[in-house]
Amino acid sequence: MSFEFHLPDLAEGMTEAEIVSWKVQVGDAVSMDQPLVEVMSDKATVEIPSPREGTISALNYKEGETCEVGAVLFVIDEGQASVSASNGAGAAVVAEQAPVVAAAKPAPAPTAPVTAPAVAAPAASNPVSATGKVLATPATRRLARELGVDIRTVHGSGKRGRVTSDDVRAAGSGAPAAAAAVPAAAVSRPPVSIPSAGGETRIPFRGMRKMISDNMVRSVQTAAHFTYVEEVDVTELVELRGRAKQRGAERGVNVTYLPFIMKAVVAALKKWPALNAALDESTQEFVHKHYYHLGIAAQGPNGLMVTVVRDADKLSIFDTAAEVQRLGQAVQDGTATRDQLSGSTFTISSLGKLGGVLATPIINFPEVGIMGVHKIEQKPAIRNGEIVPRYLMNLSISLDHRLVDGWDGAMFLQEVKTLLEDPTLMFMEMV
Amino acid sequence: MVQILDTIGACKYTHGGRLHRALGDSEMAAKKAAKKAKDDLRVVLDNDGKVLKGATVPEISDDELLKIFDTLLMVRIVDDRMMRLQRQGQLGFYMKSLGEEASHLSVFPLRKSDWVLPSYREQGAWFWAGYTIDDFINQLFGNAEDPIKGRQMPVHHSANWLNYVSISSPVGTQIPQAVGVAMGMKIKGTDEVAMTFFGEGTSSTGEFHVAMTFAGVSKAPVVFVCRNNGWAISVPQAKQNAAESFAAKAVGYGMPGVRVDGNDVLAVIQVAREAVERARNGEGPTLIEAVTYRREGHSSSDDPSVYRAASEPEEWAEKDPIKRLRGYLKERGIYSEQLEAEISERHNAAITRAYERAQSLGAPDISTLFEDVYEEPPWHLEEQRNYLMEQERTRNPHHHN
Repeated sequence: MSFEFHLPDLAEGMTEAEIVSWKVQVGDAVSMDQPLVEVMSDKATVEIPSPREGTISALNYKEGETCEVGAVLFVIDEGQASVSASNGAGAAVVAEQAPVVAAAKPAPAPTAPVTAPAVAAPAASNPVSATGKVLATPATRRLARELGVDIRTVHGSGKRGRVTSDDVRAAGSGAPAAAAAVPAAAVSRPPVSIPSAGGETRIPFRGMRKMISDNMVRSVQTAAHFTYVEEVDVTELVELRGRAKQRGAERGVNVTYLPFIMKAVVAALKKWPALNAALDESTQEFVHKHYYHLGIAAQGPNGLMVTVVRDADKLSIFDTAAEVQRLGQAVQDGTATRDQLSGSTFTISSLGKLGGVLATPIINFPEVGIMGVHKIEQKPAIRNGEIVPRYLMNLSISLDHRLVDGWDGAMFLQEVKTLLEDPTLMFMEMV
Repeated sequence: MVQILDTIGACKYTHGGRLHRALGDSEMAAKKAAKKAKDDLRVVLDNDGKVLKGATVPEISDDELLKIFDTLLMVRIVDDRMMRLQRQGQLGFYMKSLGEEASHLSVFPLRKSDWVLPSYREQGAWFWAGYTIDDFINQLFGNAEDPIKGRQMPVHHSANWLNYVSISSPVGTQIPQAVGVAMGMKIKGTDEVAMTFFGEGTSSTGEFHVAMTFAGVSKAPVVFVCRNNGWAISVPQAKQNAAESFAAKAVGYGMPGVRVDGNDVLAVIQVAREAVERARNGEGPTLIEAVTYRREGHSSSDDPSVYRAASEPEEWAEKDPIKRLRGYLKERGIYSEQLEAEISERHNAAITRAYERAQSLGAPDISTLFEDVYEEPPWHLEEQRNYLMEQERTRNPHHHN
């Protein structure tokens, strides 16, 4: 026997609700009161527990779609399957969901370090509520769907960052305010269709992953990328950091190499201001910034995020280390604020020990440059005609050739290299 | 550690001497006042249910304690089941009490002949008085066995056989009504008492102030229980009150104000007993502020995640009233896990039975529309009733009425 679940009025006067997420799939055995779906009305986001025991035979709406009150949201088959489902249901569902959860996590592809910066821009333009949901009324959401605008990428001008219908219209018409809207080229091309062939898992391409995608495409399609790689001998830095780490531990600060690299980058940016800059396309002005907010790529629970160490030029090495640590924790905890995720002027992408040999980082648009930090390895090097073991590290920098030339990048990286190879010099630059 | 003070001492915020304070001291005084408000909180049990040093345990028999425990569990189980039914589309509306259950037992010292004018979040008070799970669920369904015949929205119970006056949605209406009931009893010369409940947000309504004035002036036998659960839907308590506490407002109306840990059922009962006794002895009204916390949404229509941090309810879970009472029962040697399991099973079974019956019953008979307002229905209602029933017969010849 089939039980059709009609979406009830869950919140005094609700007329429709958006499907936030399904907790089950068609074919799943479900037990009484097991959470099935999370829906959001203009008043509240609530979870609907299963009103029956049985097998899910239909989920009539996709995530992101709107279901009207009274419409059949899902169907549960209360047939024989349900008898055996009563005990096994929980386990069966968990087992079936497991691969989906695993697959939904962005895969740590070889290009991981270079994809890092993409998220800074959406964080800046995408206000979310304390729970991570975009604030908007159902009417605005409908408008966004009708205009083909991803509401998650629209800058909200309303109270507490609420996305208004005007914001959606502006985004839909490609007005300058809608900087984060999907690039025209991506829209005009017919969508690629991958026919179902079985043996596949299909994960909705949305949310964080979609934002990363949109911003990557925008950066690559706008900035004229070129990448330049330099090798740095960090033998002295390794020694210095070893000592600093001990001192840091006494203060409860984990001193990695990153704070030293950040200080070197700030010093080099001061010398080569064209790299701490952005192009204001509306006024056709090249904006050189006299503040140094360094974006640091961090792996968040839902994908890569760029945390921002503000006024990095005014922080000591220990302060910088503590700040990086604090921001990383905030990202892991999901408590990072908009301020901590936006406003960078130059970005550093580092995966620590996984840092690879070289990369072609994608610029955290609209910045001018991004520097990829690779792993430190002890290698044979020739010094004074002798083969000696030295600690070597590569730095890859991608720059926007519209605004700077190869010479600028080379000079900048040379400065970073000089300071990292003789870290005592770095202290001459400090405030 | 919180100091346990003698009730009357703790109640009295009226210190004329304060008027002589130099103006420059006002900031210091405000700080002192805030500290005093904190120190004045009446507590008996710590978060694990151990009796605090210096605290007096109110006299309650083992049987009564177990019945209290049973009632608190009952509220929690009923709440949980009902909210799931609401999400499944079976109920139009629901309001949970998670974390606030102990404050409901303010009715513990009342007699059957006393009156209760409740707010909408005191399920435990109803159950304590004898309102059954069947009554409760039938009301939520508004079916043929609903004690109030489907005339109110879910959660708005009414039980005249218990002297529990109908819950009404507009907040605060019950407070002046409670004072009126109490003044009436005083005039009649009985020793009955009226108790009314409301949230801290309701203290911002005019009704609260009107009622407090009348109660103070007339020395009405009424007990005001302000459930300060931290949030008036999405408005934090700090936006409802500029005084040192909600209890402190009592001073201005010439009655004692007492702050009690609303998650400590023993302290709640102790304070309520003293207030009811005062009222019964003709000493007038008392304002009780039960300091507690609403750990879930205001109602099934509310989403607290949009206005408060998730860590807040988690912190309050430490002070959970059931956990504390369970701890105390263990100390007293009258608790066992089996006992709790039996209580849970009994209530769950009763809910399942009541729910199955409730949903099988139809709506109240249409003829009931004309009942209960007049003892003897006047001619125009008789006429209307006969007309409607005739229409019904024409429309549905098989209808028995």
